Amino acid sequence: MIAKEKLVKIVGAANVSDKPAALDEYSSDISFVNPVRPTWVVKPKNTDAVQKLIKLANKTQTPLVPVSSGPPHFRGDTVPGIGGAVIVDLSGMKKIIFVDRARRVAMIEPGVTYGELIPAAAKEGIRINMPLLPRKTKTVVGSMLEREPVTMPKYQWDISDPLACIEVIFGNGNEFRTGQAAGPGTVKEQWAVGGIQKAPYGPGIASWHRLIQGSQGTMGIVTWASMRCELLPSLEEPFVVSSSDLDTLLDMTSWLIRLRMVNECFILNGTNMAAIFAKKWPKDYQAIKDTLPAWTLFYNLAGYEYYPEERISSYITDISQITRRLGVESVKSVGGVSANEILKAVQQPSPEPYWKLRYKGACEDVYLLTIHDKLESLIGEMNDLADKAGYPASDMGIYIQPIVQGTGYHCEFNLFYDPANSSESNRVKELSAAAVKGLMAKGAFFSRPYGENAGMILNRDAATIGVLNKLKGLFDPNNVMNPGKICF
Amino acid sequence: MGLEQYKGDMEMCCRCSACKFIPMQKVKGHQYAYVCPSISRYNFHAYSAGGRLNIGAAMLKDGMKYTDKLLDIVYNCQLCGACGVSCNYAMDMEVLEPINEFRIKCVEDKKTHPALDKIIANLKKQGSMIPGAKGKRGAWAAGLKIKDATKEKVDVLYHVGCLTSYDKNLQKLAKATAKILQKAGVNFGIAGDAEMCCGGRAYQMGYPKEFLNQAKKNMAMIKKAGVKTVVTSCADGYQAFKVLYDRFDLKGELKVLHISEYIDKLIRDGKLKPRRKVEMAATYHDPCRLGRLGEPWVHWEGKKIPGDRFVFDPPKPYRRGANGVYEPPRDVLKAIPGLKFTEMTRIKEYSWCCGAGGGVIESNPEFAKWTARERIEEAVSTGAEALVTACPWCEKIFNEAIKESGSSLKVYDIVELVEKAI
Amino acid sequence: MALKKDVYKEFESVVGEENICDDPAIMPAYYSNKFAAVILPGNTAEVQAVVKLCNKHKLVFRPICTGWSGMFPPDIILMDLRRMNHIIEINEKNMYAVVEPYVISSQLQAELFKRGLNFCIKGAGTNCTAMLRGHGHMDQTTSGDDRNHLAIEWVTPEGDIVRSGALGSSDEWFCGDGPGPSIRSILTSAVPPGVTPGVFTKAAVKLYHWPGPSEFPIAGHSPKYVLSEIPANMMARYYSFPSVEKMWQAEIGLGEAEVCYELMGFNAAMVAANITTCNEEDEAMFNRLNKEVQGPGFFVIIAGNSPADFAYKKKVLEKIVEEAGGKSLKTLEDPELEGIIMCQCIRISASIRETFRPGGAFNSIPIMGQRDLTIKWAIGAGEAKKPLIEKGLIVDDGGAFFGWGVEQGHLGKTEIFCKYSPSNPTAKAAVETWQREQNRRAFEERYFASTMGPQDEIGPALCNYSQWWSKVVKALDPNGVSPEGGSLV
Ligand SMILES: Cc1cc2nc3c(=O)[nH]c(=O)nc-3n(C[C@H](O)[C@H](O)[C@H](O)COP(=O)(O)OP(=O)(O)OC[C@H]3O[C@@H](n4cnc5c(N)ncnc54)[C@H](O)[C@@H]3O)c2cc1C
Ligand code: SF4
Ligand code: SF4
Repeated sequence: MIAKEKLVKIVGAANVSDKPAALDEYSSDISFVNPVRPTWVVKPKNTDAVQKLIKLANKTQTPLVPVSSGPPHFRGDTVPGIGGAVIVDLSGMKKIIFVDRARRVAMIEPGVTYGELIPAAAKEGIRINMPLLPRKTKTVVGSMLEREPVTMPKYQWDISDPLACIEVIFGNGNEFRTGQAAGPGTVKEQWAVGGIQKAPYGPGIASWHRLIQGSQGTMGIVTWASMRCELLPSLEEPFVVSSSDLDTLLDMTSWLIRLRMVNECFILNGTNMAAIFAKKWPKDYQAIKDTLPAWTLFYNLAGYEYYPEERISSYITDISQITRRLGVESVKSVGGVSANEILKAVQQPSPEPYWKLRYKGACEDVYLLTIHDKLESLIGEMNDLADKAGYPASDMGIYIQPIVQGTGYHCEFNLFYDPANSSESNRVKELSAAAVKGLMAKGAFFSRPYGENAGMILNRDAATIGVLNKLKGLFDPNNVMNPGKICF
Repeated sequence: MGLEQYKGDMEMCCRCSACKFIPMQKVKGHQYAYVCPSISRYNFHAYSAGGRLNIGAAMLKDGMKYTDKLLDIVYNCQLCGACGVSCNYAMDMEVLEPINEFRIKCVEDKKTHPALDKIIANLKKQGSMIPGAKGKRGAWAAGLKIKDATKEKVDVLYHVGCLTSYDKNLQKLAKATAKILQKAGVNFGIAGDAEMCCGGRAYQMGYPKEFLNQAKKNMAMIKKAGVKTVVTSCADGYQAFKVLYDRFDLKGELKVLHISEYIDKLIRDGKLKPRRKVEMAATYHDPCRLGRLGEPWVHWEGKKIPGDRFVFDPPKPYRRGANGVYEPPRDVLKAIPGLKFTEMTRIKEYSWCCGAGGGVIESNPEFAKWTARERIEEAVSTGAEALVTACPWCEKIFNEAIKESGSSLKVYDIVELVEKAI
Repeated sequence: MALKKDVYKEFESVVGEENICDDPAIMPAYYSNKFAAVILPGNTAEVQAVVKLCNKHKLVFRPICTGWSGMFPPDIILMDLRRMNHIIEINEKNMYAVVEPYVISSQLQAELFKRGLNFCIKGAGTNCTAMLRGHGHMDQTTSGDDRNHLAIEWVTPEGDIVRSGALGSSDEWFCGDGPGPSIRSILTSAVPPGVTPGVFTKAAVKLYHWPGPSEFPIAGHSPKYVLSEIPANMMARYYSFPSVEKMWQAEIGLGEAEVCYELMGFNAAMVAANITTCNEEDEAMFNRLNKEVQGPGFFVIIAGNSPADFAYKKKVLEKIVEEAGGKSLKTLEDPELEGIIMCQCIRISASIRETFRPGGAFNSIPIMGQRDLTIKWAIGAGEAKKPLIEKGLIVDDGGAFFGWGVEQGHLGKTEIFCKYSPSNPTAKAAVETWQREQNRRAFEERYFASTMGPQDEIGPALCNYSQWWSKVVKALDPNGVSPEGGSLV
């Protein structure tokens, strides 16, 4: 075990803790992973400290678990996989390093949350492509590193977007900057000549940021990240379309995205519409659920600097042809929820209480990636599995997010449950495992394997594991970075 | 000068592979994008025009290094010229000429192909491209009351060509041609037994001397007969008289027309009226030497301007295939009542070769048939029942390939359909 | 170095007699190198077997698609993939296509047009493979480089078949990342050049909506194909500006307004090359256009999804150009030339006429990334060309550079080259000095580093990436049989 003074020397006494309450906070989360207590929690405030911590961990063979967002955590990735771990809590690294309107890019430290970045970016006239209603404590860097889906698929050219460059301390203690940030020279030297850190690829043949994304802290610790930003529209016109026929809405969605007409665009089932937009709880919740058709597509049209009204009206004309063909109608509100209200909500993090917790106090997410043609059958399969597990399918929230300009769909099942009710939580735990197994058998792709189910997911692709293990051996030869996660 | 004169051209090759495909903007999909039979069949880059030029440049520099493989490459090329058209969309350089020169060089060095040697030996002996041909050249015309142009004054000499004259299955083309000309009231004749091979195919095979020999004999005969216009029904003959004879300054003022051009003119002049319906869906195959290689010769002499550009003084005109004979046969087909005309993907200047050119039908009949099969498949894909061509060599190889593959596609020469229609 | 007979036989038993050759006669056809053998595998299994044999016998190999731009060590096994030429899938709903190495861009694009789709065509031309990454004319709309790859089937240097992302787990091509960290991290990125060791045997590429016709209405004969009409809701224009700053103002404005299908920062010389059919015409046209432009400029294609969309885009385009003092090149407003260059940029994707036709040599500095930054550097690099122009050492292009915005101006490419006569040693030396100095300036002033430059200096200045990369390569290729591929600019 690392001696306290060594940690204190690096981060200062105030930033090292082994108080049981502090340790408990990190030893479990809302997911079903086994609780494991860390031995220390340290809160570095800069890159230098992070690097020293990693070097120390290598010397002492100590597992490090990087955490950037605040609680509650949901996926088990920040719960130590083995005993004796040090939690490296980066939530205190809160600098917004810059926001650059001209180049549509921002750079921030890992502790910056959406709530913090959004106003700072807006001041300059830009914004980030964000996930759907993240919890208040969710950090931007955390979300990007997890390859969370974003609500504006039009601007997601690559699944790694909006991440641009990162500074990372690899597991072996070496500092590295990816993409344009790599050099030549320091970041400051690059700024001096007008360079910002935006181009994600390189240096050389690799696109190194892709190795860090999705790695759940197993390759190294990110000390800042830059991201591409989008302009703030000067005019927005959101719509909703409801239907009991998902395929029709998917068809519509794919055309809206293909023609690049819409910014925010996603589909929710009635349960999630209610879980997110019910104002008065629980009265509204039930009312919304009861009145809405099974599915609601939300989309938002936007205009920027030049003739925004004309742009939006040309979109409306073009979209009306699609809706006519499909026999649906774009409207301004459904079931008492207005499109404007949805728009306003999804451009911010979730208000408190976090929408996933509001209904029952806990939520297990099962999410997958798939293609258009498989989506409905996977949802059908999930309904069957829920039925079988005794979980009422009507209680299950579903969020469908087209990703990467329409090349695929993120489909998320939100299993709300009461954590105090052990039979309910056991049922959900079993359902979650059965779902991953059953959905995988039907062709679902689990690109972000967390917690208990990771092994089952990775076992399907031995060749990829082979390569990943080789890479892991290079960047974190002593396996100090978050051991026990993914396939490491 | 031989190969040497194309050193600069060969060195210009940038290895872009355009010569393997039809011009990029004409590519209509995954299928029928390839244009060079040789690389399509043999796959090693050496079989493409670019590969051939690079080999040429290297061997010009380091000496000819003959191997069996080299000769396999050299003789498995139809000299169809498709490569040149595709290359010259963007590049200013000769492509087919150096390829042909390379073959000539091989022949000079006695690295010949036995099958072609046999053909040429026969040419020297009999004046025809058809070794073992029996009977007299003009025998097909017996009883048809066709004038002998060597004896009577005619306006038009119909040069029948070796294959049509001797091949029992193809003599029908000569008869049809004669019938059409007679019907249109043309004062024409044939040279009968005095007709000789045009020599064009010998040139493709790499035997320029033998070609010239034929050319001179033919032109002497023509001069003597006082003929001003020659009509051929064979694309090889057309290209020989029109392009090669001109290139070697033998053509003089002789007017050379392919039968499809002539029929087109006769129809336009109202002398020929296709009135009978020929109900069929047909597509047209551009014979290489009527199409892109039928483009008139452009005499040019000049010097490279020193400097960074491959440019000449005076500017060098390239024959890029734009001026071949493309529309007249199409116009004729479109004038036939009842005929439903469809186009294939690879047409006109970027047409796919039938497979018979460059001596390949003799040196490697399997490859020739393979090439023909590709074309047949393309023709069938248009929904056509018939593939119409304007050269007996095409008809021959198509029919051979069809016989083997069992396709139900019918092959016609354009004169056969016109004959049906009048 | 020839293969031993028994080794040759082993390879032959994989691909068949017809598909392997070590005859010296074929070698000069490929490159100036002599290879141990050229092998034509017909499918992934054969590629894998060949790679395994290479490992067994410690023979170095490299694959080619069309082989235009590869650079190869001598004596290697050259794997020519031209027999692998199938389009495996075009998924319209999920906007991706899966291709084998020898599907060229022109083929895939023609198939896609029929379905109202398009994809990123490399500026090299549609004569190149559709499968490998690259960037080109339509990057504004179709992005560029590795960002267009989804799942990839990759035969590793050791001969394992790795199928990235969803492909490995669920046999779907739509996603190349995960589970966990993405294997795409090591499967190619962007310029500067280089290709990951091993062999890509299939790849899924992203598709984009194509608002144009299912087939261009082409008339005429090569080399002068024209459009019989400009397709509905499409327009092509060239605009020149009073200064680079003004040009950039318009370029980024158009990117942000999301109105251009293509925005290509061609200079007058490149426009001239593309619309002319021979060198002489090219030179005359260049002289004409050079007089007509007021300064640097770019070429734009707009394409509306509907008449209303087109009208909107045109209005915004004209407004932004006007605000920046841009002037439309009258010559290109002639519908015939407009059609030629539209087709040239979309269907041919330019390149050969503007690079190789003149017949000289050119030395180039290309860079992907932050366009405003690289433009700033390129102004200096262009100024540095001027003394060479004055001395008559290089072709006069007014000190021009070129480039374009990628992803509606989020990213970009800038390139500058000097055309000169390779037979003039003074010119060659001067150009090489220019190239070295401008690369050095870029490096020292911290604009960018050409990773084609000296690694001992550049590697450390770029976070020692080259050491990391060597380690990755060593881990993947313990026998050292699969050197990384050269040049994929
Ligand atoms: C004049 C010119 C202009 C160009 N302009 C551009 C441009 O604007 N934009 C741009 O992006 N590029 C440009 N390039 C480079 C261009 O990207 C490449 O030429 C093109 O992608 C090559 O395609 P190819 O089929 O010829 O590849 P090849 O030459 O066959 O291969 C290129 C490299 O990839 C490797 N490779 C080939 N196949 C495989 C495989 N299956 N698996 C793994 N590695 C493989 C090769 O070993 C080689 O190193 C230009 C090139 C030229 C010559
Ligand atoms: S011959 Fe022409 S088309 Fe063929 S590779 Fe060479 S330059 Fe390209
Ligand atoms: S002449 Fe024909 S067969 Fe010969 S290389 Fe050219 S295209 Fe191929």
